[in-house]
Order: sequence, then C-alpha cells, then structure tokens
Amino acid sequence: MISPVKIWRRQKDIRKILGKKGKIFLWTKIFTPGTGFKKYAPYPVVLVELENNEKVYGQLVDQEQKDLKIGTKVISVLRKVRTASVDGVIAYGIKFKPLK
Amino acid sequence: MTSLIGYYTTKFGELWDKSLFDLAEEAIDGVLKATNLENKQIDAVFFGNMLAGVLGNNLHSTSKLAEILKINVPIFRTEAACASGGTAFNLAKTYLDSNSNKNVLVIGAEKMTDYSPEEVITALSAAASGEEQEAGLTFSGLYAMMANFYLEKYHYTEKNLAYVSVKNHYHGSLNDKAQFRRKITVEDVLKSAYVSYPLKVLDSSPISDGASAVVLTNNHDMIKKQKYSTAVLASEVITDTISLKSRKQIDEILATKIASDKAFKMAKIKRSDINVAELHDCFSIAEILAMEDLGFWKKGTGGQKITEESTTYGNGGNLIVNSSGGLKASGHPVGATGIKQIGEIFLQLTGQANNRQVKNAKYGLAHNVGGSGGTAVVTILSS
Amino acid sequence: MIGIVSYGFYVPKYRIKTDEIATVWGKNPEDVKKSLLIEEKAVAGIDEDSLTMAFESSSSALSDVQIDKNKIKVVLFGSETHPYAVNPASTILAEFLGIEKNYLAYDTEFACKAATGAIISAQALIKSGYSDYALITGSDKGMGKTHDVLEYTAASGSVSLLLGKDDLILEILDFESFSSDTPDFWRREGIRYPSHGGRFTGKPSYFYHIEESSKSLFKKTGLKPEDFAYGVFHMPNGKFPVQVAKSLGFSPAQIKDSLTVNYLGNSYTASALMGLMAVLEKAKAGDLIFLCSYGSGAGSDSFVLRVTKNLTKRKKEFIKVIKNKKYIDYPTYLKFMEMI
Repeated sequence: MISPVKIWRRQKDIRKILGKKGKIFLWTKIFTPGTGFKKYAPYPVVLVELENNEKVYGQLVDQEQKDLKIGTKVISVLRKVRTASVDGVIAYGIKFKPLK
Repeated sequence: MTSLIGYYTTKFGELWDKSLFDLAEEAIDGVLKATNLENKQIDAVFFGNMLAGVLGNNLHSTSKLAEILKINVPIFRTEAACASGGTAFNLAKTYLDSNSNKNVLVIGAEKMTDYSPEEVITALSAAASGEEQEAGLTFSGLYAMMANFYLEKYHYTEKNLAYVSVKNHYHGSLNDKAQFRRKITVEDVLKSAYVSYPLKVLDSSPISDGASAVVLTNNHDMIKKQKYSTAVLASEVITDTISLKSRKQIDEILATKIASDKAFKMAKIKRSDINVAELHDCFSIAEILAMEDLGFWKKGTGGQKITEESTTYGNGGNLIVNSSGGLKASGHPVGATGIKQIGEIFLQLTGQANNRQVKNAKYGLAHNVGGSGGTAVVTILSS
Repeated sequence: MIGIVSYGFYVPKYRIKTDEIATVWGKNPEDVKKSLLIEEKAVAGIDEDSLTMAFESSSSALSDVQIDKNKIKVVLFGSETHPYAVNPASTILAEFLGIEKNYLAYDTEFACKAATGAIISAQALIKSGYSDYALITGSDKGMGKTHDVLEYTAASGSVSLLLGKDDLILEILDFESFSSDTPDFWRREGIRYPSHGGRFTGKPSYFYHIEESSKSLFKKTGLKPEDFAYGVFHMPNGKFPVQVAKSLGFSPAQIKDSLTVNYLGNSYTASALMGLMAVLEKAKAGDLIFLCSYGSGAGSDSFVLRVTKNLTKRKKEFIKVIKNKKYIDYPTYLKFMEMI
C-alpha cells in the first residue's frame, strides 16, 4: 500500500500542472514494468517541456503510434497513475494526451 | 602509494544455492587466500551493495560482515545504486590516503534472483527520482530515453547499439566467471524483445547474483611480499542530479566527464595510454556514451565507431573495452560490478587474464555509474 | 432565478461496437442492435475513473466563465461508480479544481439520477443565499456483467453543471421529484457488477416513475409536451426513452437530438445529462427543454428549463467532439474495465 500521506502531499503539486500544454522532449515505451504498473503495460512515458519551460514526466495516453516522437504537442490530464492495492488510497496524477 | 594486491570474484549468474552473505563470504575467503592474508590482518572493510535493504530487509550489513570475518574493525557500507562497488573502492582508497600501513578489504555483492522480475525492476528504480518512478519509468526506461535522444540527434539506428552487445558477448565467452558464455550476432540483438523502446533484452544487462573482492594496501613491505600488485593511480567519484530531466545535456553523463578529467589529471597520463578499460554497459547505449564521455571518442561518433569493432579483443586495437564481458555478458550483480571491473583491470595488468589477456597492458581504467548518471566513478590502475 | 451558468462534458476516446460484443457471445448482432438500438458505446481507459472524467467535464464547465472559485461553496458528486465506498470524490475533485476549502461537499447516490437529485438540492442552497454557485457532476464508468444485456449498454461519461443565479444560459423554471421503493436494479456493497430484475425494469420501474414525475410537473406548471422544443429522458437503452416520450405525448422530432445512447451507450448518472449536452448544441434562446431523469430503486426528477440568450456565448460543440474516437476489441474492453 502506498502511503496516503505521500499521495496527499504529492497531489498539491499535481494541481499546478493540470491542463498545461507542452511538447515531448524525451520518450520511450515501457514493456517490462515494475509492480504497480503491470496493468498499463506496454505504455509510453514522456518527458514534456511545458510552455513555461518546466519539464514534467508522465505516461502518454490516448495516443497513436505516430504521436510518439520528440516535438509532439501534448496537454496534461488527470489520470490514475498506478494500480492501487484493493484496500489502498488511489493515486491520481499527471499524464499527457496528444493535442489534436 | 596504494596498491591493489589481490582479487577474487565468484561466478556471476543465477546462483540459487548461495545467499547474499554466502557469496560475500566466498569472495572474502577467495581474496584472502589469493593474497595469503589472515582475517586479523585486515584493518578496515568497505562493502558496496544496493538492494539488500529494499529486497531482503537486510541492513546493518557491516555488522553481518564482522560476524563473518570475526574481527572488530571499522566496516562501512556504501550505496550509490550501480556505483555502490566503485564508491566502496574509492572510500577504501581515501581511507588508505589518510591511514598508513594498513590493509583494506573491499567487497561488492548483490543477490537479485531470490525475487520476481517486477520486484527487482521496482527495487532498481529506487535509483531514479520519485517523479521518474511515479511516471512508471523503470531504469531501462531512463536509458531508453537517452538512447532515443542520442540515436535521433546523431542519426544512428538500433543496429549501431547492437554492436556493443555482440562484442561483450564474445568477451564473455572467454571469461569462465561470466554469466553468459555464448556469442551472439547483430541480428540476434535486433530480433530480441523490447524492454523499453529502443532497448531490447539483448541490449540490457541481466539480473544476476555475485560477489567480488579486492585487497588494497599502502604497506610497502606487504606490497613487496605479494606476487601481484598494481598501483592505484587515481580514483574519482563525482555526482550529478538524480533526475535525468535536470541534467545539462541528455546525450552525455556529465559526472563521467568530470570524474574522467580529474582521474587522468591525477594519474598524469593521457587517454591514449589506456590499454584496457571496463566501462559501465548497463545498457548498450551506456557503453557508447561512456566511450565519448571518458574522452576516448568524440561526442556523437560512438554509434559509428562501435561498428568498426576496434575495441574488440583480438582485432589489434589499442584499447580493448570490457574484456570481462562487461555488465551485459559477465552479469550485473549491482553492488559487485564496480569491484569486478577493477578486478578485471588488475587481472589484465598482472598477466592473469588467460585467453583474453591483452598483451603488454600497462594502464587500465574502470568506469562505474550509478542510476542514469547520478554518480560516476573512474579508477585508473597501472602495472 | 436559479439556473445553469455553464456546462461541460467528457466522453472517453474509446468505443466498442455492439457487433464486437455480440460476436463473442454468439449472438446475432442485428438482433441485439434492433432490440437495444445501440450501435456502439463509450469506454473509459484503464487509468480513467469517475473522478478523472469528472475533472475533465468540470474543468470544461469552469473554463468559459470568469468567476472567483471561492464563490463555489457547493460541490456535489453523483455516481454509481464512486472511486471509494467511503471517502468523498467531491473533495478530491474540488481540490484538483482549485476550489478552496470553505465549501460544502458530498457524494450522492441514487443510481442513474444521483446528479439530477443533487441539482434540486443545490439550487435550494443558492436560493437560500448560502452560496452563489454550485458545481454538480454526474460521472460514471458504467459496469455490466459479461454475457448480460448491460454489457451492451453500460458506458462511461461525465457531465458537469455550474449552477448560479446570474448570467444564466438555462433557467430552472420548475422541477418535481417522484420516489418509491422499487428494486429494479441494484448493487450490493462489495459486489462489482449491478444486478437487475430483467423486464421488471420496464413498466413498473422506468416507465411508471418517469410518467408520474413528468405528469406531476406538467400539472404543476400547466405546461404540455407541445410547449417544449426538446424532451430529454434518461436512456438505459435506445428504446425506452422513445417509448416513454411517445406515451407522454412528445413527438419523435422533439427527442431525436437527445438520443446520445445510440452512439455512446448509457453513462448512468451522466446519461440524461449527456442527452441535454447534445440538445444544447442546437437549442436557441427562448426554447423550453423538458429534462427527466430516472434512477433505479426508484425515482425520477423532472425539470422545465428555458434557454436564455447567453447560451450562444457558452455553447459547446458536441457532435464533432464525439466523433474523435477509436474502436477497441473485446479483450481490450475487458482490460480497460479491469475485468481481466
């Protein structure tokens, strides 16, 4: 179970980055995940450079294969970021979606 | 002047019958035997290990080692992810710089095969930042990001990376302690399954068990009595940001560059003087970046140069890289790697490298990296 | 006058066709489509839930108004697929939206009418002067057992409404609520999938409650079906809303734009409201809209809404947005719904 305190602390920062636009700076696609991410595999992870030059990591969702490259325009969205244990607190966080 | 007078490594691989401390004990016994030393002649011990706490709930390993050695001396454990072994060696050397006439034992050990791959992948990702972990980035994911960036910037493909693994597997076939003894081809690498795009199974070092140990001394009488000895000319540890996103450049490991410059300056030799090198090839891209960051190849040329196979044993090149098989073929029990690398250089410089012996090897370099470049250790030895 | 100031909706990108599901179970797709009048339904991704979708629809609702978020002192989250059995999603939502802490929040449940019931409570809180605004969300990642009719109909979606007393796009002229104890569709604590009473969900349930709620409101207001430009009813499948509209006296033309169920499925608490979203894309100032929800267990909320001239400045594209979709196959559907 992930510490509920850690989730709570983290969520304050998440709010500040929601709904922000940026471009993919680095990317990969994970095929062998660690515990907590198995259900999402394989999944792309990107490092996005936001319009204010801040860099944020997140999975890329609702994407087509062609979106996975440096430079693709994206926007940050709220999603579940890892599989919660059945009795644990749900971790919500930032992921990115290609901007159409 | 500090000298390395003995080295012993266990085999690396899936060593089901041996626990972490069984392996450490084997390495300790082996190196003491090789140097004809008794336990009580050891003045201090340095231990490199990353995962015993996270995976095995084993901390206070220093006290455990005291139980094995049955001595009461200072024992220290260092952790710097995959550079745990290298940093343990560095601290041992630093200890000898400030304490005369001492003999120091340095051990690196890791036990990884007791756990499921997911548990190990998760544990290894502790070397990454919290944000990287929360985004679902694994250790291979971080190097994969670096690989995609490098391949795109310098116009290379996955094929260029494959040459690293081909070379290291060939070297592994010459090393009886290596985890993998079979040779592979570029096609084999390209056909293997993706771990994190573009890195595939055969681009990636394995999950391994193993322990390696060396004895260092600054006691001149001791050095004279030993059959083999190499001088430790330099050992430099440099750290950089844990987050890949905070690094100045994505296509280099700055910590390696700085540590390398410092080490060569301290050793008073040139890059071209190095005959053998053990570089940190946790993933194929890492060896290419290392060759560039250490100053052997110009930045961006590594993808091309690796295909020329000049660093492969037997091709007549001036610099043979990863004669042990590297992390890829000899295996990567995380905490042990840094010591194994230094040990391999020792074997080469003292003529003990058997069928992979590089002729007239006079200067050697070991390069150990932690995480995606958060720590780098560069060690230079001379015969 | 209390009413709706702005609105937002979110439909996930993924769709599964009735054909795809029917083929797996060896049913004739044409028979299923004829019986349910559902071509395909919306499915949320594996990492989406009622909260993440509510965030999307609420952000959209708040994006086209410039208001001080501190004036939103009521946040109500209606769902039948709450992220937690105990722990308010309404405060998780409010926190992510930046609504700070002097507000009343609670999560509501009344099957598919959890959100519309909340509208009635919220407008009273505004009328009493407690708050200038209220944010209401209906959001569901609808679940249905495999090899059950709900598998074709239960869908994902979210609609959010910002209620207020000024600058309205829709006035709430009047409303009624009709309730009874009728166990037509339910889900026990700790059980993943809802159960239902088959044909019992028809005449004594859906039809009875909607008809009674609607007739009650018609009587109260003196209005008749022909006074309305549009009728929007809860849509458990493609047939029921058409039938109940007809029995009440609405023409097919009045309800055809609202039938989002045909191509999106039934997003439970967001179902009737999604029909409203489709209608608002077309509605004009002065139009009267009749909105009638149904929640199993059972009850029905009915509303008379009037479109103001402000709708034009806050109208949102619906049909075009819904067309941005990607089809998935049955195993992917099971994976997204975490059924495997």
